[in-house]
This record gives sequence, C-alpha cells and structure tokens, in this order.
Amino acid sequence: MNLTVNGVAREIDGSALAPLLDVLRDELGITGPKAGCHQGGCGSCTVLVDGEPRRSCLVPAGYAEGTQITTVEGMGPPEDLSPVQQAFVHYYAAQCGFCTSGMLLAAQAYIDRGGTDDPEAIQHALAGHVCRCTGYSKIIDAIAAAARGDSFDLTTTAVGKHTTMSNGGAA
Amino acid sequence: MKVVGARIPRYDGVAHVTGRTTYVDDVRVPGTLWAKACRSPHHHAAITSIDTSKAESMPGVHAVITWKDVPLLEYGHLSALGIPADEPLLARDEVRYLGQPIALVAAASEAQAAAAVDAIEVGFEERPALLDVRQAFDADAPKIHQWGNWYPHFENEMDRRQIRKGDIDWAFENADTIVQGVYRPAAIEHAPVETQVCQVVPEPDGRLTIYSCTQALYFSLGVVAAHLQQPLNRFKLVGGTTGGGFGGKVDTATETMTCLLVLKSGRPVKWRWTREEEFLCSSTRAPWHMELATAVTKDGWILGQKMLTLHDSGAYARFSPYGLTKHSFHHTGAYSIPNLHFDGYVVFTNRTPTTAMRGFGVTSVSFAVETHLNRIANELGIDQVEIRMKNANRIGDTSPNGIAYTDPSTIDTLKAIADAIGHELPADYRTMTNEPRAGELLPEHLVSQVGSTEGH
Amino acid sequence: MAVASMAVDAATEILMPSSEDEAIAAFGDGADVVVVGGGTIVVPDMTYRRLRPSKALMLGRAGLSGITKDGSRVTIGATTPVQELTEMAAPIGPCASNVADLEIRSQGTVGGNLCAGEGSEAPRGDLQGAFLAVGATARSAAGGDVTEEPLEDFLAKRGERLLLSVSFDEPAAGAFAGLDRPHTHDYTALAVSGARATDGTLRLAATGAGSWGARLLSAEAAAGDPAAAGEAALQDVSPRDDALASAWYRTKVLPVLVRRVLTELKESA
Repeated sequence: MNLTVNGVAREIDGSALAPLLDVLRDELGITGPKAGCHQGGCGSCTVLVDGEPRRSCLVPAGYAEGTQITTVEGMGPPEDLSPVQQAFVHYYAAQCGFCTSGMLLAAQAYIDRGGTDDPEAIQHALAGHVCRCTGYSKIIDAIAAAARGDSFDLTTTAVGKHTTMSNGGAA
Repeated sequence: MKVVGARIPRYDGVAHVTGRTTYVDDVRVPGTLWAKACRSPHHHAAITSIDTSKAESMPGVHAVITWKDVPLLEYGHLSALGIPADEPLLARDEVRYLGQPIALVAAASEAQAAAAVDAIEVGFEERPALLDVRQAFDADAPKIHQWGNWYPHFENEMDRRQIRKGDIDWAFENADTIVQGVYRPAAIEHAPVETQVCQVVPEPDGRLTIYSCTQALYFSLGVVAAHLQQPLNRFKLVGGTTGGGFGGKVDTATETMTCLLVLKSGRPVKWRWTREEEFLCSSTRAPWHMELATAVTKDGWILGQKMLTLHDSGAYARFSPYGLTKHSFHHTGAYSIPNLHFDGYVVFTNRTPTTAMRGFGVTSVSFAVETHLNRIANELGIDQVEIRMKNANRIGDTSPNGIAYTDPSTIDTLKAIADAIGHELPADYRTMTNEPRAGELLPEHLVSQVGSTEGH
Repeated sequence: MAVASMAVDAATEILMPSSEDEAIAAFGDGADVVVVGGGTIVVPDMTYRRLRPSKALMLGRAGLSGITKDGSRVTIGATTPVQELTEMAAPIGPCASNVADLEIRSQGTVGGNLCAGEGSEAPRGDLQGAFLAVGATARSAAGGDVTEEPLEDFLAKRGERLLLSVSFDEPAAGAFAGLDRPHTHDYTALAVSGARATDGTLRLAATGAGSWGARLLSAEAAAGDPAAAGEAALQDVSPRDDALASAWYRTKVLPVLVRRVLTELKESA
C-alpha cells in the first residue's frame, strides 16, 4: 500500500486492517503520534489525513492508502516552528507533552479551516482530546493566540495568573 | 537570583511541540520482544496450579516467567521506612485482587504474546472477597492478608496510627454541640495519557539497560536490584519524560518483570500496558472512610475532635502506612484543634492496591475537614469564612503531631479568598493576622496552643 | 517489515469492494462477515482482541457514501460520515452532533452507528432513535437480494443484512432531547427523538433506554398530554444498569425527555 507521510512517499506492508497508528510507529518509525488508549478515546494518536484530523488508532491502513498523512514531525522543526507550535511553547501548553502532538494537529486543522479565538469553538473542535496535566486552559489560550495571528517571544512565557479563557482572552 | 520570578520557557517545550521528546515507547531497539501478562480474573482465590507449558511452545514465544523465576519474590518497597514486605512480584499460592499478575510472556509480536497468555492454564479455588473496609473488622470477615485485615506494623507494633492530644473528654463535656459527619471519597484512577511501559535491553557487558516511565528512578533501581538479588551497578536506568504520573508511576513493577524476561530470553523486551490494564490493574488513589465528631461552642470555637479513618489499601500495603501517617499528621487541616482523639487504620481489601496521588494521604483529610467545617458553620449559623479564620492556625500553634507552626498562611489565604469572591468580613476579621493569639482570640481552651516555635 | 499489530489476525480475509454490487456480492449471506464502515467501532474491538473475524468487509471504497434528495425524500448512503448529518434539522442534526467528537464523527459512518452490535458496557446506536422518529426505511442486501423495509424491521436483523442506505421524508417538525454526556466518548446514556410528518403522524423513539433504539408507542398514543406521555413511555422500554447510568436514573429521566420533545413539537405546530 502506498501513502505519503509528511510529504514523503512510503510503501507499507501488512494488513489493510492494521491501525494507521501501528503502521506509523512500528513500521515507519514515526513516533510523534502516541498510543494512549488504542480505542479513539484520548486523541494522542491524532494525525491529519488529507488535512483533516483523524484518530490514527482507528483508521485502518487500507483507508489510509493513497492519502497524505501529516504527523507532528511534519509541522515545523525547532528552528522554524509554526505559529501554533510557538504558541504552545509560549503559553506553557505542554507539560508532560504526551497529548501535545495530537492537540497540535487538531489545532492546526482548526485554524486552517478558519477557526477563531473563541474558546468554545476551540473546545468543540478539540473535544475528545484528553490532557491530564494542564487542565486545558493554557492549551486553549495557545490555540486562541495562534488563531488570532499573535506573534510570540519564545525567550519568555505568557504564564498568567488566572485562567484567561474565563476573562475574555486577556493574557 | 536570575530565575526566581522570571518567566522561563520550559526546557523541553520545543521538544514537546516537535514530537522529539522521547517517551519509553518511542525507544526502538531492534529485536525487541513484546511482553503480555496473565492476570487474575478473580478478586480472591487460591491458586491450585500454574501450567505454562502450552504457552512456552507457541509460535513466537521466547520466554515465560512465573514466581519461580524471581530470586527474591517479596520485597518491601518502603522497607527503609519500616514497612515490611507482603506482596509477591508474581502470584504464587493465591491471588488477592482482580488483575494481579501471575505470569508473563515475551514473544516476537504483541499478538503472539497475547495468544500465549490465553494458553496459560491456572487452577483457582475462589474465596470470599472483602471489598468494603467497614466489614474488615467484623468477626466473620474473610481473612485476606497474612497480617490480618489491617496493617499491624506501625512503631511498637501498633495496629493503627493513634494521636491523643490534650483532653478530649473535657472538650466533649464542654461543647455546646457535637457535629458529626462521615466522608467517603472514592478511588481515583490517575489515568496518565501514557500508560505504564518499560523497555529493557541486555548489554554485551552483562548489564541491563532499563528504559522506564517511573517517577522515581533511583527508587526503581533499588526495587529491581532487590528482587533480582543483583548489585545496583548491574543496571542502568534511563528515565526521561514520563507521560504523566501523578503518583501512579511510583510503585511500578514493570521494570523487574521485564528484566526477568530479558534474562530468560536473552533479548530486549518491551512491556506496554493497554488502557484497559491501566484502568483495571494499575494502582489508584485510595478510597477513604472518615468519621468525624467535632466538639464546638455556639460561637464557633472548635474545642476538640474525634476522628476515625479507614484507609483502603487494597490487597497489599505498598505505601499506605506512609500515606496514613501523613494523613494523621494533617488531620486538623489548616485549623487549631487542641484536643484530639484520632485513630487511623490501613485496611486490606481485595481491591487493586492503592498508592500515592497528588498530595498522598492529605487530600482526603482536607476534603473531610473542609466539608465538615461547612457543616459545622451551617449548623451553628456562623459564616463559613469567619469560622475558619477564628480557628485558623497561628504562629506557635501545634499540629496534631506536635510540630509548632512558624508561619501558617491560613488567615492570609482566607482573606484573599474573601476578597476575590467579594465576601464581606467584619472589621476585626479584616485586620486579623497569624500572630500568636492574644486577648479575645485566646480563650481558655487555646491557651495550651500558645507556643514558641523554637525547640518544640 | 510488516507491522505486528494487535489488531491484525493473519487468518482474517479482507474484502474491499469498490462498488455497491461488489459489496453485496462480497457480503453474501453475511455468515462470519464483520462489516467495517469507518472502523471506529470495529478497529478497537480487534485491537483488544474482542473480535477475530474470519472475513472483514471494508466498505470505505464501495461508493456508499453521500446524501441525495428527491423532493423531500432524503437518502443517506450507509458509509456517509456521521459529521455530514450535524447540520440537518432536528431530530437527526442534533442527534448526530451529540455523537462522540469531530474526529470520530468524521470517520464513523451512519451505517456503522445504526448497525452497531449490542454493547456490554453502554448502549450503542446513538442515531437509531432519530431515524426511527422520522420513520426511516432501510435498504439492505443479503444473499444477493436487496430489500427496502421500515428501519425497525431492519434493526431486528441488522447482524444478517448489509445496510446500503436509509431514506426518510423530511418531517414537518422535529425535536431532540438527550442527557449531556460526561465525556465526549460516552455513548448517549439516554436520548429521545421526535418528529411530526407532513401528514401529521407523530413518532417518538428513545436511544439508551434498552439495548438499542426503541419506538415509544405508548407515549405516541398519549402525545396530546406531554406529561402523561412521558409516564406512558416507561411501558415501552426496559432500561438497564450499565457503565453510563443506572436503570433507575433512566426511568426518572425518560419522562422528562419525552415531555421536552413533545412540548417542542407542539410549539412548532
């Protein structure tokens, strides 16, 4: 089966029923998407399939054939982070980081389809992505900032005193 | 000081957002075998037989381990704190909780390992299970632990944490009312997004490299060395980023079992728990049963408190005696209660063994104390903030275990809360500080609390 | 190096038809065939080794997706993603919006949702109630024979037939009321859908009150009095305890949801 991952054409062996997550991690060595639950319940495996966010632990390889897959490795490298990656760094939106790859890709897709800095819209778009560390507010702040087109100073952080979601987006 | 108060980006922030942070499951070692566990389907049962012969000859299987393969089967993880060993690494004669590991298989693929686990035959004789801490003390309760149904090895072989302070009888005789309450927070699963996982690699020089998600690397090193009866320098532990722990990855036993599979197979082995295993078999925050009876005056002074705590340790002790100890030291919360009668028990049940989680032992008592205080305030018709400030810890007041507070922040915190929520306080409360009590704030029953913070 | 995934069993024969006719032929009489729509239900069941099919029929490329309208008659292909229904009028739109989250709705199919096998820990088939309420019919195949029948009749034998599409006439009015889900991945613990057809026929159906969607015939008969209808609905269901809610709770809430749906339908008369 042929598919493109992060712009590179790849050929994969094996069953059409193998979850895309296992193909990416175990066959192709792409470990950005994580195996948090293998049942679509946490979002840490989310990748983009032709630009749309999907749970890779649920996508059978046979359905991924011929598609363009984007994982977090296909977002910016350290020296050229995309706005949403910068936002996550600046807003302390990643603690242990295990949910981060899925969050970033879902956020990128949200912004690409015109998503705004409305916290409720962001929550709706990322519903089903579980984070056990941050309490979500900084993730939402980061995505809102990226959606607004803010620029970020990565030498410092925007750690505010209160949950900024609840006071209208004031940092 | 350049860092305190400065806004420093996380050192691993860029790694997290580029997918470069390496978690244990991201470590890829060629030739790695997959491990799967055979686990108890019963809450409580005797094991009459374990037959791994079919599993051993199945396709792709390189090694199967049982209790026989463990050099030191029982090791007390907190033996340095005086808690003796009670839990076998792998079950031998019995199982005491659903999910308890009995055997492990290492095979070329995860599916082959799982199929081999299905082929392990274990004979069981089910026994009655004890699932409710309150029943542990009944005369006809099933006896489920070699030490009895509650932990008996506190100092001086006490079977409970006991605190007696002041004169509880005086407090109860002089109270205007006694307020009672029972508080029972349930178990909480840590649910880190990364499940428990371990990768072990045999090195050519005979050492084992262990990639672990443990929260406590040196601690795990000691546990592995003890169970395997090997010197510490036989192992190289590589930690790194844990995908969430919250206390649930301090009692990991994955390292030890994976090492045994490596020693038996000669190959690298990885054991990655499924989300189902994480929910069903990993240790949780304990359920607690707390009964409070508080002697109060009608103007809101807390004269004394009786408390009974039953901590549900699950099938084995692990860290529970330590958690209960912390709980007992903090059982008055942020408040000064001079007359105390506390008994706390670590109770065994046939549930998943419990462990630390975010404020081990103390979150439970905070929940009980705060909820109970609101109950007291409501019964007396007193403002919930004022009753707290009145009874707040002050400089020189002592904790349940006799430690004098040097700078308690109860009063400042409550004033800030009142301010934040727009709660009006009377003038004398607005000016309250945590200075040692004097005048009206030093009634007779609190005289004994006025202490120096030097030399307690 | 081929992937050694838990989900993969070398013995499973995989069929991936590229047309409706091929899908019907591949399904045959359905013996030992597990149908894979989007995969959101079947793939995790395979990963956790609860499902070891001898034949897996992957429908994703069989051209069964899409929504067509012929006047006021709407036809929804079996592999249409649930997400494509979310903007439709009540009850179907809000019912579909209440399923999981965006990523899962975009992958999960209408057919997969309707045909889900009975869940042991939670009721499945979130969409069944809404489609029953609009009086939908199901077009399905087995043994090469294609039939269209009321959805109720199809659901009773959904394990034996291959769903191809569902159709319904747009109702004059619709309403949906469901329990909020504690977590986005919970199936609907309890929901009621209602619709009044253009000829005045009123239909009510519940999901989560039993093992799959059920028409609330007693409630329909008493629909003139929403409160009475709510109580009457209890005769139409056998709620059970499961991971999402207790039977007791469901019996307390069902009348409330029925009342809300009927009140909303009345107000849109």
